[in-house]
Amino acid sequence: MNTLRTLLYLRSFRVIHRSSYATTKKKIHDDSEEDLPIFQYPLSKSSDKRVYVWGLAETGALGIHLPRSKRGKKSYKNAFSLAWHPIRSSFGERFDVTEIACGYGFTVASIKTNEQHKVFGTGINTDSQIGYHAPRIGHPLEMLLSPAPIYIPYKSLESKIIGLSAGRAHTAVLTDTEGVYTLGNNAYGQCGRKINKNEEYKGSMVAHRISTLGKEVIINVCCGQDHTLFITESGKVYACGWGADGQTGLGNYENQSVPAPVKGDITSEKIVKVASTVDCVLALNDKGELFGWGNSEYGQVPMTTNQQQVNMSYALVNFTKGIGKIKDIAAGGSFCLIVNEQGDVFVWGYGLLGLGPNVQHAAKPKLIPAPLFGRNEFNPECVVDKVACGIGHLAAITNNGDLYMWGRNRHGCLGLGHSKDQNFPLRVAVGAHVLKVVCGVDHTIVLSKPFI
Amino acid sequence: MQKLQLTLAIIKPHAVKNPVALSYIRQVIKNKFIVIKTKRLCLDTDTASKFYKEHVGKFFYNRLITFMASGCIDLHIMGHSNAIELWRLLLGPTSVYKGQFQKPYCLRGMFGISDTRNVAHGSDSLASAEREIKFFFPDFSFYKWHKNDEEFYRKGPIVFNNHLFQHVRRL
Repeated sequence: MNTLRTLLYLRSFRVIHRSSYATTKKKIHDDSEEDLPIFQYPLSKSSDKRVYVWGLAETGALGIHLPRSKRGKKSYKNAFSLAWHPIRSSFGERFDVTEIACGYGFTVASIKTNEQHKVFGTGINTDSQIGYHAPRIGHPLEMLLSPAPIYIPYKSLESKIIGLSAGRAHTAVLTDTEGVYTLGNNAYGQCGRKINKNEEYKGSMVAHRISTLGKEVIINVCCGQDHTLFITESGKVYACGWGADGQTGLGNYENQSVPAPVKGDITSEKIVKVASTVDCVLALNDKGELFGWGNSEYGQVPMTTNQQQVNMSYALVNFTKGIGKIKDIAAGGSFCLIVNEQGDVFVWGYGLLGLGPNVQHAAKPKLIPAPLFGRNEFNPECVVDKVACGIGHLAAITNNGDLYMWGRNRHGCLGLGHSKDQNFPLRVAVGAHVLKVVCGVDHTIVLSKPFI
Repeated sequence: MQKLQLTLAIIKPHAVKNPVALSYIRQVIKNKFIVIKTKRLCLDTDTASKFYKEHVGKFFYNRLITFMASGCIDLHIMGHSNAIELWRLLLGPTSVYKGQFQKPYCLRGMFGISDTRNVAHGSDSLASAEREIKFFFPDFSFYKWHKNDEEFYRKGPIVFNNHLFQHVRRL
């Protein structure tokens, strides 16, 4: 009987409960909702920059922490840690990065600040190319795995870093008011100071200052592997360093320890850009005409005499006839890459040039078809803005902020997710609007801004 | 087991200055060869030009000797039944720009920067190996080594000494 009563009770309770549901009706749209504050998702500022890195991480040049997957009993000592895909660098989030340069296994970056530490470096430091770092006195580090500030004796903390460039084992830091500071190896005079045969570069604290060249302010600096090129205000080019291939352009094949003006056809021109990665140098004047000197073993600077080492600058105006005004230039190890004002990309030299599946030699500038860089019926305004070269790989940035890379995929420096060489330009999956790409020997770094 | 052949490996300045490349190359050498002697030294231009006197007059002669004189180099006398050929095979084609596409995983394809900065040098024949070893190791007697030590290095017992970076008698 008791159980029956409880059953009945429960039943009646349920009925009441159910009916209470049915009678309440909630208004779907309440007017007061419109007065509620709307959550504003954060939008990026126009000054926000992002840094993406990929390639060989073993040297520490990427400045990111990569957990090694094969750590344990079966670890192979020679399994390099590589970043196959673009990885967003946390350094770029902490600081306002303005300039980046990649050398052979190391990276330097400058940040916007009025403090002493304006330039940071990471990677190989066997020649003190990224400064003196010694956790214990007398034991300088040979390799830095995360970015550390480089001490440079600035005259004033107000001066800004406006240019950075890095070679095989030296770094050039360009400031707006104090000229250029050079660090690192000076075996060929690439730091612009006197060569000392017995100098010990490991643990050296020397930062050499080149304030002016020919009483003019230096406005740009570019490092090849073992030489350095400076552009002054009036468009003159000065060079120092290794000249065995004629890459200093001084009319000889000697090492040059004090920057001297490059001879030949560019002496009467106003040069706005020089490009050099290894031993071949290209220069661009304000009219969009091309000049070149240095290594020409693969026909990068074609001469009528088939000379392989060009030790003076020569105008390549006839060579680039029909291309029009040139916008940007890049010189690789065995090839050259240029883009004209229409945004068409031309390439010549030897290597995987992006013209097809074969490694080939192009004696004349050859056009890489524009559809490969995203220009088609739906997107007719897509043009290439900037180009860059590593030793065996090439890169181009379009006006939409897309990065295309191709060529030799040394240690995954193309960032395509595999280790195979790339025959034609392919878009790299960078999740931002790419502003600048810097190609090192085996790693690549991109400076970009967020999409929204 | 065949008799050991000797070859000379010279690790060039840019690879010596790159700890990642150097440790990889040393790992290859250690695992594939018996290392008889190791030395690190800094060449000057005169010694380098004497060493490369067979290349006098070639267009790359000047850049080769200035490059070799630009920093320290590592010298290894290495033994293997087929040392000369094996070391050249591991190195890959002399020209980095051409060889990196044909053989991407040889030492030069992985760490070479240009045709001159091509990681390492390897002797190309028995005669040149002897000449090069005698050039850099004047107190190393080829005759005595082949007569007395060759059998011991071939049959052991030897262990690798990481500090000296060469194989030594196991005590």
